[in-house]
Amino acid sequence: MATEIHAVLQDQDGGNTAGVASQSTDFLSGNEAAARAARDIGFHVMGYFPITPSTEVAETLSKMQAAGEHEIMMIPADGEHGAAGICYGAALGGGRVLNATSSQGLLYALEQLPVQSSTRVPMVLNVATRAISGPLDIRCDHSDIYFALNTGWIILLAREPQAVYDMNLAAIRIGEHADVRLPVLVAYDGFFTSHQKRRVEVIEDKQALQEFLGTPETPFTALDPRHPVTFGPYMNDPDLINNKKQHSLAMEAARQVIPEVFEELEKLTGRRYPVMDSYHMEDAEVALVLLNSAAETAKEVADRLRGEGKKVGVLSLNMLRPFPTDLIRQALSGVKAIVVGDRADSYGADGGNLSLEVRAAIQVDPDNRTRVLTRIYGLGGKDFDDADAEEFFNEALETAETGEVKEVFAYHGTYAGDPDKHVPHGLPAIEKGEVTRGMATVTENPETGKLNVELKPLWAMAEVPSRIAPGHGACPGCGAFPVLHQVFSVLEGDVVVLFQTGCAMVVTTGYPKTAHRITYIHNLFQNGAATLSGLVEMYHELLRRGELPDSPDITFVMVTGDGGMDIGMGSALGAAHRNHHMMILEYDNQGYMNTGAQLSYSTPLGHRTSTSEVGSKRKGKVTHHKDTPQIFSAAHVPYVFTASEGYPEDLMRKAAKAQWYAKNEGMTYGKILSFCPLNWTTTDDAAESVLQVAIDSCFFPIYEVERGITNITYDPEVLGRRRKITEWLGRMGKTKHLMAEGNEQRLAAIEEEAERRWRRIKAMHEHPEL
Amino acid sequence: MNECVLPDPSGFFEIRFESIGGLGAHAAGQILARAAVLKMNLNGSHFSSYGSEKKGSPVRSYVRLGAADKPIRTSAPIDSPDVIVVFHGALLDQDITIAGMKNSGTLIFNGPADEAHEFLEKIPKGTRVVRIDATNIAIEELSRPNAVLLGTLTATVPFLDGDIVLSTLTEKFAKRNPQAAASNERAFKRGAEEYEVLEGVGKGEGDLPVIRPSPVLGYETAPIGGVIPYAGNTVSNDLSTSRTGWMPLFTAKECIHCGLCATVCPDFCLVWTHEQEGEEVPVVRLKGVDYQYCKGCMRCIETCPTEAMTRVTETPGLADRERVPLYSQGATGA
Ligand SMILES: Cc1ncc(C[n+]2csc(CCOP(=O)(O)OP(=O)(O)O)c2C)c(N)n1
Ligand code: SF4
Ligand code: SF4
Ligand code: SF4
Ligand SMILES: [Mg+2]
Repeated sequence: MATEIHAVLQDQDGGNTAGVASQSTDFLSGNEAAARAARDIGFHVMGYFPITPSTEVAETLSKMQAAGEHEIMMIPADGEHGAAGICYGAALGGGRVLNATSSQGLLYALEQLPVQSSTRVPMVLNVATRAISGPLDIRCDHSDIYFALNTGWIILLAREPQAVYDMNLAAIRIGEHADVRLPVLVAYDGFFTSHQKRRVEVIEDKQALQEFLGTPETPFTALDPRHPVTFGPYMNDPDLINNKKQHSLAMEAARQVIPEVFEELEKLTGRRYPVMDSYHMEDAEVALVLLNSAAETAKEVADRLRGEGKKVGVLSLNMLRPFPTDLIRQALSGVKAIVVGDRADSYGADGGNLSLEVRAAIQVDPDNRTRVLTRIYGLGGKDFDDADAEEFFNEALETAETGEVKEVFAYHGTYAGDPDKHVPHGLPAIEKGEVTRGMATVTENPETGKLNVELKPLWAMAEVPSRIAPGHGACPGCGAFPVLHQVFSVLEGDVVVLFQTGCAMVVTTGYPKTAHRITYIHNLFQNGAATLSGLVEMYHELLRRGELPDSPDITFVMVTGDGGMDIGMGSALGAAHRNHHMMILEYDNQGYMNTGAQLSYSTPLGHRTSTSEVGSKRKGKVTHHKDTPQIFSAAHVPYVFTASEGYPEDLMRKAAKAQWYAKNEGMTYGKILSFCPLNWTTTDDAAESVLQVAIDSCFFPIYEVERGITNITYDPEVLGRRRKITEWLGRMGKTKHLMAEGNEQRLAAIEEEAERRWRRIKAMHEHPEL
Repeated sequence: MNECVLPDPSGFFEIRFESIGGLGAHAAGQILARAAVLKMNLNGSHFSSYGSEKKGSPVRSYVRLGAADKPIRTSAPIDSPDVIVVFHGALLDQDITIAGMKNSGTLIFNGPADEAHEFLEKIPKGTRVVRIDATNIAIEELSRPNAVLLGTLTATVPFLDGDIVLSTLTEKFAKRNPQAAASNERAFKRGAEEYEVLEGVGKGEGDLPVIRPSPVLGYETAPIGGVIPYAGNTVSNDLSTSRTGWMPLFTAKECIHCGLCATVCPDFCLVWTHEQEGEEVPVVRLKGVDYQYCKGCMRCIETCPTEAMTRVTETPGLADRERVPLYSQGATGA
């Protein structure tokens, strides 16, 4: 932590003003600045679900929490919809509430946002803006926050880490203001701001900050039984429109409140934020209108063009909702031409939302003559640099000069393609015969009804072409691929796969390359099982109607990580209860690895992840791991199994059975313990030894539930191989801290829970009716 | 606070780290920029390129420094750096690594002494070229290449205060891992001392051009909807740079062709043949490794019941000589 205390502070434009509160300089990314603000504010509750590029907010807070720097109750939700629910519920109790998300996370939460704003319950939501799917892109654009424009939330913009810190402080005051009482979203550019470290002044004078923030006051709370209130009644016409009018009035009030709060913020910090950020606009003849980081780039270019005598300016916003319509109209009254850059399209509307709103703002002025050009730019993280800004200025200058708009609406920075350039064509489709070689033969015993599986030797399987090609981008030693390879070695015939979001999906399909040699679908991990079930039913329907050429015999497999079975649990259980003919395979690496190793519900107690950090006050995850196989078992699907990549033959037998059941009876589910050297912090070649003790310690029981009957397929006790759980935990960096003195209780808790679950499975194994 | 004066106080001094995930380029950039901003009275920004953040995939890390009162507005990546630091020798063969290298700039690369790098000829004549064997020093000192390279960087760029950078590096580890802090300190110091300035290697005229890779497909040529109709075309990827100094070596006469290694290799780079011996049933035999895809995880060695797979240091050209290609040239489009 930095210690330099600055009595004199710099304001946004580099000038010096005397600040009221003492501050120190630190070097923080936008996400870290949001986390720092959260710590300084001391929110009561944070509900969140990790998603790039906003995850670092929760991660940084987790580190601080482990070190005892704050006491925010941090709740890892099962998905963003859940996170939004947690936040809403918490906020109904009257305390201060925080969330952070991006992209698909915001969209998955979207349905809850108007509920919260219209019931007038403040909180703060940080959004590190990112492109929305399809084609999954993790980088910045504004397609996510454009969806939030109609949610009735206040939206503040932060163009650099310092602003992220400051806007979070302001958000509290604005949202809780008696005339407003609305939740506030603080949006900053993903990566450009969320991940770029800059100099940030943070407040050291805790008292001054608390005076600025005040205490949260709420007209209604769900936690005062002496004053019972009903939140969220059933309301039709003629009342609803009046409720909306109130909401609209609150937004209008915010127009007044926001600049007032910004002024007070300036008194506290010395940093000034106008609601509209005008740069060289006084006498500008042309201007660019841009949001967030791109506006800063444009300012550099504006300086240069000003030096050449060109009257250019940059207009940007610190407040997007309410939209500063009047200020924009005034600022543009004398401007001849502008280019509005939209970092997201509103397809078919001839402009993104910013353009449409700017055009709407100026048309109210009958004398306005400003020509408006719309350019869609920087989608999916495409950089916006000096050359881009200069091109926009030139287009605006040309328009100002001629008075003619050549092209009202255009995409900037696209590429048509070159017919002579080709993507490598890859490998030929796998012939059915090549993958139908009887590597596993499944037969049903007509008397007992039991399935028998006969496996060919491993060396014979080595030659079966892999359904995944080499050249994928997983880490060295990654266990997800041995898992897939082992399963695919025994699956017969044609297979269609659906991968939910996660490492295996991301590393196999970096456009324009794919490692998949068979048909592959990605859908987001909250909805993969439903998607595949739809395809399965289409397949059967087309077959039934004789509309599928050659009537292929296809096995449908969904591949998911353990995290996908958190956020996608509802969808997967829905598919299970409908008993579609498909397989679900979960490679369990005990965390959300693709996004940088946050805890999943399958992460065991005490394990360190980036959202269950280890420090003097906290020692890893505080809850036990999820027992997903038992959940599916309770859905009474025909076949459920657990396995590990460390026992290939056992996994292969089960995969073959699962295929048989998926073809003949319905849904199957398998959880497969899968090595992740990067985030378990082991050497790349430690898979065998680590997995072996995970199993021999009975932490991860190896069994199957076949038509409701449990059968342990590898029993370390019977084989005399039972080992202590500490032998497993001692082998991984993520659990080393548990070996240190003072963790005896936690270790005992892990052992006890593992033992309890193991005994239950044993009892089930021994009693077929259990 | 120390006052460090930039060579050109009115402009930015820009540094680009070229690396692969796992070597610590991101951390190095962060430490350097943090030291500059908090302790050298400079303004600065730091960020890294992100794709999927897997170990072994390319990473670029950028540090932009300016005078204390110079605002940093741009968040764009650094195209024409004053210094490029290359963390992995194999990256030197790629034009993109040294793109935008200034004639007046410095190139620092990680490599052993006496290793010929024809590629360095492309570098501008005026560029100072500095070599340091960061990998070996890191191994010897139980540290990481980033500590060594930071040492070299501060020793060769005079306005960067080495003591401050080192203390910032130490701070990062001091609490959590004092042993690592001591190792890093030794590695840093050796980096600052054992580097070699290579004279007369660059032959290029003027600054190297900036490279902006354009995509292969555009909106008129890409299949709609982002669909990829080219199954398995990752076979044209070369993952050799994922290996960090070691590789598995296959000795056929020790192999019992049990197939165990095939069940654990995450990268499907083992090459099998089908042989029919006389009347006997066909047997499947392991022929070797396609090092184009091998990431050097050593899982095959761990699993092998015999001595058929052994871990060896990867010397230049070894992988090429030992490679058994999985696919024909045509299939990989390489
Ligand atoms: C709605 C939504 N929320 C969050 C994310 C970010 N995200 C992508 S993959 C992932 C973790 C996946 O974890 P898991 O299923 O265990 O697979 P792993 O990465 O561990 O292989 C997360 C949180 C997302 N893509 N979409
Ligand atoms: S982070 Fe773990 S699961 Fe993901 S690719 Fe790397 S090793 Fe595999
Ligand atoms: S595991 Fe060893 S012995 Fe078995 S096939 Fe592989 S290299 Fe040969
Ligand atoms: S080291 Fe062995 S297991 Fe790892 S990628 Fe190379 S061949 Fe495969
Ligand atoms: Mg996972």
